[in-house]
Amino acid sequence: MATFDYQVIIVGSGAGGAMAAYTLTKQGYKVLMLEAGRDYNPKTETPMFKTNAQAPLMGSGNVDKDFGFYDATVDGGWTVPGEPYTTGEGSDFLWWRSRMLGGRTNHWGRYALRFSPHDFKGFTRDGLGADWPFEYEELAPWYDKTEELVGICGTNTGLDDMPDSAEGILQPPPKPRIPELLVSAAAKKLGIATAPMHRAVLTRPKDDRQACFYATPCGHGCSIGAAFQTTTSLIPMAKATGLLTVITNAMAKEVNVDEHGKVNAITYIDKMTKQSHSLEAKVIILAASACESARILLNSKSEHHPNGLANSSGHVGKNIMDSTGVGYGALIPALAGRPKYNEDGHTANHLFIPWWGHQLHKEKLLDFPRGYHFEIGSGFRAPGAGVSGNLDGYGQPLKNIAKQAYGSYVSLSLRGEMLPNEHCYMEIDQNVKDQWGIPVVKFHWQWSEHELKQVEHGLKTARRILETMGASFTKPLPKAEDAILKGGQIIHEVGSTRMGDSSKNSVTNQWGQTWDCKNVFVMDAGVFASNPHKNCTLTIMTLAMRNATWLASQLDKGAL
Amino acid sequence: MADKKNKYSSSKPYQSSLTRRGALKWLGAISTAAAFPALIGCQSSSKKLNTSKGHWPNLSLSPVSANGYGKDPNLIIAPKNVWPRILTTEQLTLVAVLADIIVPREGNVPSASEVKVPDVVDEWVSAPYSRQQADKEYILNILTWLDDESILRFNALFIDVSPAKQLMIVDDIAYNKADLSAEFAKPMLAFARIRRLVLAAFFCSPEGTKDIGYLGNVPIAGDYPGPTDEAIQHLNQVLDNLGLSL
Ligand SMILES: Cc1cc2nc3c(=O)[nH]c(=O)nc-3n(C[C@H](O)[C@H](O)[C@H](O)COP(=O)(O)OP(=O)(O)OC[C@H]3O[C@@H](n4cnc5c(N)ncnc54)[C@H](O)[C@@H]3O)c2cc1C
Ligand code: SF4
Repeated sequence: MATFDYQVIIVGSGAGGAMAAYTLTKQGYKVLMLEAGRDYNPKTETPMFKTNAQAPLMGSGNVDKDFGFYDATVDGGWTVPGEPYTTGEGSDFLWWRSRMLGGRTNHWGRYALRFSPHDFKGFTRDGLGADWPFEYEELAPWYDKTEELVGICGTNTGLDDMPDSAEGILQPPPKPRIPELLVSAAAKKLGIATAPMHRAVLTRPKDDRQACFYATPCGHGCSIGAAFQTTTSLIPMAKATGLLTVITNAMAKEVNVDEHGKVNAITYIDKMTKQSHSLEAKVIILAASACESARILLNSKSEHHPNGLANSSGHVGKNIMDSTGVGYGALIPALAGRPKYNEDGHTANHLFIPWWGHQLHKEKLLDFPRGYHFEIGSGFRAPGAGVSGNLDGYGQPLKNIAKQAYGSYVSLSLRGEMLPNEHCYMEIDQNVKDQWGIPVVKFHWQWSEHELKQVEHGLKTARRILETMGASFTKPLPKAEDAILKGGQIIHEVGSTRMGDSSKNSVTNQWGQTWDCKNVFVMDAGVFASNPHKNCTLTIMTLAMRNATWLASQLDKGAL
Repeated sequence: MADKKNKYSSSKPYQSSLTRRGALKWLGAISTAAAFPALIGCQSSSKKLNTSKGHWPNLSLSPVSANGYGKDPNLIIAPKNVWPRILTTEQLTLVAVLADIIVPREGNVPSASEVKVPDVVDEWVSAPYSRQQADKEYILNILTWLDDESILRFNALFIDVSPAKQLMIVDDIAYNKADLSAEFAKPMLAFARIRRLVLAAFFCSPEGTKDIGYLGNVPIAGDYPGPTDEAIQHLNQVLDNLGLSL
């Protein structure tokens, strides 16, 4: 690295790291990026137009490829070989990781909703959790810039849970499909609005990226760059400045300090040679994903930082939140045997059900504090290893059951806001190391009554909507504690290095700069002070853009 | 003994599309002691007759010990034949007969065996993953049960009795009816597994995909056109019937 005198080291090439690298290189700073995974090129590696018949086991998932054979995830999923994590007694936690350039942005759902003004002030509203150290108005222009750069399709709805983007920012959303329209009509009867989903999918070309051609699932990756992933956008754009160098297969182990406790280097393992290397560092940005960044900090213990780096507050690894999740669905008799057409669309929600209860919360009419939304699952999907319908018999009558049921199953997936609680946190497992010799994370998890009440409300509402669509149920609703998905399972883990306005109860200031070490920043979801139900990644990128811009101004001033 | 009308029988076995190269590769792979017991295990137990009333083979199957395709397989040229296949020719032939009962030819639409569904079933039950291993348990047992039952009733293997006789057996286990006799409870559940698998494999094939009416996976220039007029009309009817409006 002697030939490249970088000014900033970034750990991680996912949503946060790539946005930070883009922002800094565009402003003329030299950046070195460490990425634990292998290099990855969506242009040549994405399985576009493949059918499930061409894949082993009809493309279905297993421990090797949890979300199906064609899912873009490389060397990861619910398990990463040689890199375990542990859980405390009675705790269930699932941690999805990937080990590839671009991280989890290569296969994320691309749902990209802004947080609302009230989301930043939850504590002020109901005395629970923590406020963010700024107002929505502070972030709004950065949301606009991020949405413009990333490319988001959707519309301004004026709904209180969907703040509008500036005029001309959003690209037109695709037309809704039949099951979505039916859900919309049923929800309307119950006084609940549906809206076009905001997705990081281009419906108009941008930069080198093409518009979506409405085929092949985005979870496989998108070789034409329509579905946003950092490997077809921010990373190549940052590289094009000539100011970004990426080292792949580089697993950051710890941040090092000098004899005064000032951060001056970072140590990583070259996974190919298993050698450890130390790099001098003036400024370090951790964006390895919320729990990986917290792990690096906790593993960076020294005389001056006995509880781990930037952890004088004791809050590193605390306050972890995921989204709540539960799914409920039914065969809708009225949709049986409906006319066929190409229903792929952009292969995810064109419509969804945003949270409608903000006013009800204000009026204290709900017995749980925070909101949720529903995503709609249905459609004439590419045949795979599953077949819908109450199958019975054989021969032509059997086939007819399956054909009638095809495209008539509708599910509603709740994604809700959870609150931080003292039982949900991570620490370093003193007894277990990964294959690189790095101590691993131990998770602790327990849902509180807030989440269970919310899920109960969601299940009841989902059932009412489905019944309004003509579904009938014979079984009673499941209990919330049985139905709620596991911690981590929605893959929106945040809060492990939260930001705030006091070094006493937060890890970073509003710029993601750690209170204890001025030259260490966190730019992933670790800094979230709360976890609104509106999927975290757009806000990760927005914060990274804003905070990297501030970081640059500090470099200019010589303040770092 | 088999009816002349039988498409497959002991004397007319199902021909798997497994390539010679694939088979040779596995010969190398399975000549390790670990893989052999599984193969021999299911062959020998299928010869042991278990034909008392309410019989169920309860085969003791050793777990598949092969490796999967790993966490970074080539997605463009998908790996084929990663793990050795465990079904014998006799079992494959039985799967073919059963698959064609489940999905027979209908006019121009081919039957399950014509689109090589038995190969998919073989790949499935041979796979080293937990979901497939659980299915294998059901599927190998139902295959053996069908032979045992056929011998009990007609004194010949299932594939060697006439299609009419085959259906007499299948009729007893294919319906989830309230008055299902207890002796068929297990076979019914196991049949349901292979039925779902056969249907899925059939609809996955290009012919089956056409048959179920999937019209996607084609690139569209310009905006997504949304539902057709016919689909919208149908929706309007549905909304009317349910008393809903957009
Ligand atoms: C299937 C799926 C669907 C999702 N859908 C949505 C959605 O619709 N909307 C939404 O908002 N979010 C969604 N998410 C979540 C979204 O993917 C993440 O929030 C986002 O990618 C997080 O960005 P990040 O930069 O923090 O981390 P990541 O994208 O995970 O990137 C972190 C990178 O850091 C690397 N790294 C980790 N540790 C080290 C280390 N020690 N040294 C060096 N490098 C390291 C990793 O290899 C990785 O490449 C989804 C996730 C999944 C898996
Ligand atoms: S649906 Fe559109 S955005 Fe998604 S992968 Fe396909 S082409 Fe890309």
